[in-house]
Amino acid sequence: MRVISASALVVALALLPSAASAQNDRRPAGAKTAETPRSTPLPRDTIKRLKGGDPAQVKAALDDVRMAAKDGSPAVPAIAEVLRAGLSPMLTQAAIETLGDTESEGASEVLGSYSRHRNVVLRRAAVLALSRTRGAVATKALRASLSDPDAAVRATAATALGGMAAKDAVSDLFVALDHKVAEAAASIGQLCAAQECDRLASKLGSVPFDVVTSGLDQVLFRGGKDVSDDLKVKIVGRVRELGTGEANRFLREVQGKWPLAWSQRVRQAIDQAVLATSSSPGSGGGQ
Amino acid sequence: MSARRLGLAIAVATAIACGGGQTRLNLFSTNWEDDGGASIARVWQRVGKATIPPSVDVVIGVAGHADKMIGLPLAGGSKWTFAHPLDTRPVVAGAVVVGSGGGEAFALDASSGRVIWRRPTGQIALLGAGDDGAVTVVAFRDAGGSGSVLLAVTHDGQVVRQIETSMSLGAPAVIDRLAFVPWAGQYVSVVDLLNGDEMARVTLRDETSRAWTEGGSLWFGGAGFTRFDEHIRDASKGKASWATVKIPTLPGQPKLMRSANAPVGALADAQDKVRVYARPKGTDAGISIEDGRWYGTYFRLAMGFDASAAKLGWVHLNGADFVGAAAAPGGIVLCDEQGKVTELDARTGGILSEQDLGESVKACVVNVDAQPASGTPSGAKTLAGQLADAVLADDPQLVAMQTVLLRDLAEAADESATKALVDLASDPRTSPELLPEARRALAARRNGATFMEAALARHYDFLKDVLRAPPVAPIAQALGAMKDRSAAPLLATHLLDPADSDEDVMQAAAALAIVGGQDELPTMRQFFGMYRATADDDDVAAAVVSVGKALLALDGPAGRARVDAAVKDAMTVEYARDRLGELVAAASPAPVDAGKKK
Repeated sequence: MRVISASALVVALALLPSAASAQNDRRPAGAKTAETPRSTPLPRDTIKRLKGGDPAQVKAALDDVRMAAKDGSPAVPAIAEVLRAGLSPMLTQAAIETLGDTESEGASEVLGSYSRHRNVVLRRAAVLALSRTRGAVATKALRASLSDPDAAVRATAATALGGMAAKDAVSDLFVALDHKVAEAAASIGQLCAAQECDRLASKLGSVPFDVVTSGLDQVLFRGGKDVSDDLKVKIVGRVRELGTGEANRFLREVQGKWPLAWSQRVRQAIDQAVLATSSSPGSGGGQ
Repeated sequence: MSARRLGLAIAVATAIACGGGQTRLNLFSTNWEDDGGASIARVWQRVGKATIPPSVDVVIGVAGHADKMIGLPLAGGSKWTFAHPLDTRPVVAGAVVVGSGGGEAFALDASSGRVIWRRPTGQIALLGAGDDGAVTVVAFRDAGGSGSVLLAVTHDGQVVRQIETSMSLGAPAVIDRLAFVPWAGQYVSVVDLLNGDEMARVTLRDETSRAWTEGGSLWFGGAGFTRFDEHIRDASKGKASWATVKIPTLPGQPKLMRSANAPVGALADAQDKVRVYARPKGTDAGISIEDGRWYGTYFRLAMGFDASAAKLGWVHLNGADFVGAAAAPGGIVLCDEQGKVTELDARTGGILSEQDLGESVKACVVNVDAQPASGTPSGAKTLAGQLADAVLADDPQLVAMQTVLLRDLAEAADESATKALVDLASDPRTSPELLPEARRALAARRNGATFMEAALARHYDFLKDVLRAPPVAPIAQALGAMKDRSAAPLLATHLLDPADSDEDVMQAAAALAIVGGQDELPTMRQFFGMYRATADDDDVAAAVVSVGKALLALDGPAGRARVDAAVKDAMTVEYARDRLGELVAAASPAPVDAGKKK
C-alpha cells in the first residue's frame, strides 16, 4: 500500500464498513476499524427547513440529517431536490456529504450529476458519497469518474468500485491500472474472477511491485469459495518467482497475517516462498 | 606584408608570369562623374545584339565535410562528383562551376565535373563569377576582408587579368570578353578584359551586387532586377528596365538575393533556408516576373506567391529543409538537405519531377536557365488542403510561418479549411503560438458544420487517452452563428463536461441559447441548477445567464419560475442574478402559474 496516494487512503478509511464486510475483517495494512456512528432521530421539520431557502436553516437541517445517518434517508429526496435547484458551494458540499452519510441508493442519481461538477472539490465529495450510496447508478457514475481529469477523483472512484462489489467494472479498472491509477489494483484484487486475478498477477514486473501486490494482497485474503486455493498458490508462486527482496518482504507480511484456520496448503506455499526468497538482496535476511 | 598578402602577391606574380596584364589605375575610382549613360550606351551598342548562350541547368550539392561536390545536370546526363575542400559556396557561371578552397580556385565543366582550370589564390574568398564560354571572371574578397580581387582566367588556364581594388566588388558577368562588375552596391563597371580599361560605368538606383546572364539577357540585381537593354543608359535617372517582387512581411525576413559583396560560407545557413526566389523575364514592355510567380522557402515549406498581389498561390510541405533553389520557366527547382531535388509547378505547387543527388548535402546551388519546368503536376491539393498539411505539420521551426499560413487558411472558402482548423485546434501537439489564432479562425468559419460536430462528439477521456477537450468555444461560436440546430445535443453535452474550459462552457451555453430546443431542456435545467449558485467565475456565470435565457424562451411557465426563483435567491451568484433579473424584466409578465418549479 505504500504507493497508494493519500487521497485513496482517505477513501479507504471512509469505506471501512463496506470493506470490512467484504474482507471478513482482514484488510491491508494501514486501514483502521471505524466505529459505527450512533444515529440521532431526524427532527420533524427537517424537510421543511431544507426547502425553506434560508441558508442557515438548510445547513442546520443537513447537520440533522447527518446526525441521523442512515435514519436520515427520508430526507434524501428533499436534499436531492434542493441540490438540483442549486445551493451555494458550501451548502452543496454539505448536502453531498450528507447524502453520503445516509447511504441511501436513492441519492446516487443526484450525486452522479455532481460527480461531473466543474468544481473539483465538489466532484471529489460526490464520488466519495457515491461510494457509500452504492447501487447501479453509483457504479455507472464511478466508472465514468475513472476518466475524470482529476487524479484524486480517479483514485477515489477506483477505490470506491472495489468496495462496491462492482465486478462488471473490473475491465475498466484494468484500463485505469494501465493508466497509472494505482488504486485500481486493490479494487481489482477485491473483485477479480480467477482469470482476472491471474491477469493482475501477470502485471508483476511491468507495474510497480507495491501497486500489484496491493491487489494480490486482497486476492490472497479473500475468504470463502470466491478465490480458490489453487489460484492463491499460483499467485504466491508468481511473487516467489521474482526472487527479489521486496517479494520476500511481501510474502513475509502475508505469512504473518495468514489466519491459522485458513488453508494449510496455501500456508505451506507461502512458507516455502518466504524461504526461497529469503536470501534475495534486500530481503532482510530470512524469516 | 602579412602571410595572406604574401600569398596574394605570389598569386599575382604567377598570373603575370602566365601573361596577365596590368590594370588601369582609375578603375573603380570614385572620382567619376555620371556621364549620363553615354558610356554604357556604347557598350549596349557593342554587345547588345550578342547572343548570350544559356547557362548549364545543374544542381550542385556540397557534401561530406564541405570537401565534396556532387553535380546533377538537370537536362540529363550522369551525376558527377569532385572532391575538393571548399571555403565558400560554389558558383555556377555559364557552363562552368567555380569553387575555391584549400588555397586555390578552380573551374569545372558544369555538365561533367571535369576540371577546366585551377589557380592558386591563397586565402582570398570567392564572391561570384561569370563566364562567357571562353573566359571566367571571378571576384574574391581579399584576405583582409577590406578589398577585392578580380581574376579573369581563360578556359585554357591563362590569367588574362588580375585586378586588386579597395572597393567592395560583387558577382560579375562576362559577355564577349567584357566583364560587368557590380561594386560599392550601386555601380556596374564594364571592364575590357583585353586591356583592363573601365570602358563604361552605370549607376543603378537600387542596391545591386550581382550581374548574371539568364534567359538570353544580362541582368544586374540585388533588391530587384535591372536588365541590360536599350534603357540602361537612363539607369541613373531611374528609368532602366527594372522590376522586383513585392514581398510581404514574412518570418525570417527572406531576401530575394543574398548580397554578393560578402562571401557565402560553404555550408547552408538560415538565409539559405529562408529565401525568396524569382526569375525576371524580358518583355517588349520591359521586364516582368516569370509566370507571375515568386517563391519563398521556409525550412521544409515552399510557397508560390502571385507576383502582383503577393497573394499565396500554393504551399508545399517537404520532408526536409530546403537549402537551395532557383526559379525556372514554369516552376521552381528546389534542393533539400537530404539531397532530394524537387521540381514544383508554378501554378499549383504540384510535383513535376523528383531527382536525387544520392546523399545528404550541406548546401546546394541550383542553376536553371534554359530548361523549363514542365510536365503534369502530381499530388497537388487544393490550396486549403495544402495549407492544412502545412499548418498541421508537427515541426516547431515552422511555427512562425504556420502562423502566417493560418491566416490564409482562415480565408479559404472550402470546408476542408474548416476541417483543418478543427484538427489544428484539437491537436494537443499544436503549438501554443498557433492555437489562439486557430481558435479565432475556427470561430469565424461559416461552413464545415459536420466537421465541427464530429469534434464536439469527442470529450476528454483519461482512460481513452483523449487528453484534450475539443475546441468547444470556437466551434460553438461558429455553429451558433450558423444557427445549426443539429449541433444542439452535442453542445448540451459540453455544458456538463468538467474537462471543458470555462470559456468552452460559456460559448456552448451561448450557442444553445440560439440553437437549443426542447430536447436540450433537461440538460439545461440541470446545468442551471448546478451552477447558478456555484459558478466560480464570470464565464460560467455567463453560461448560466445564457441557459436562463434559453429556459425563458423554451421552458414555458416552469422555465420562467425557475429563473424567477434564481433571481430572488441570494445564493445565486451576483453576476448571474443581475443579468437574469434584466432578462426577466425584459420578458413579458410572468404567467399566472409562474412561481412553481417544475
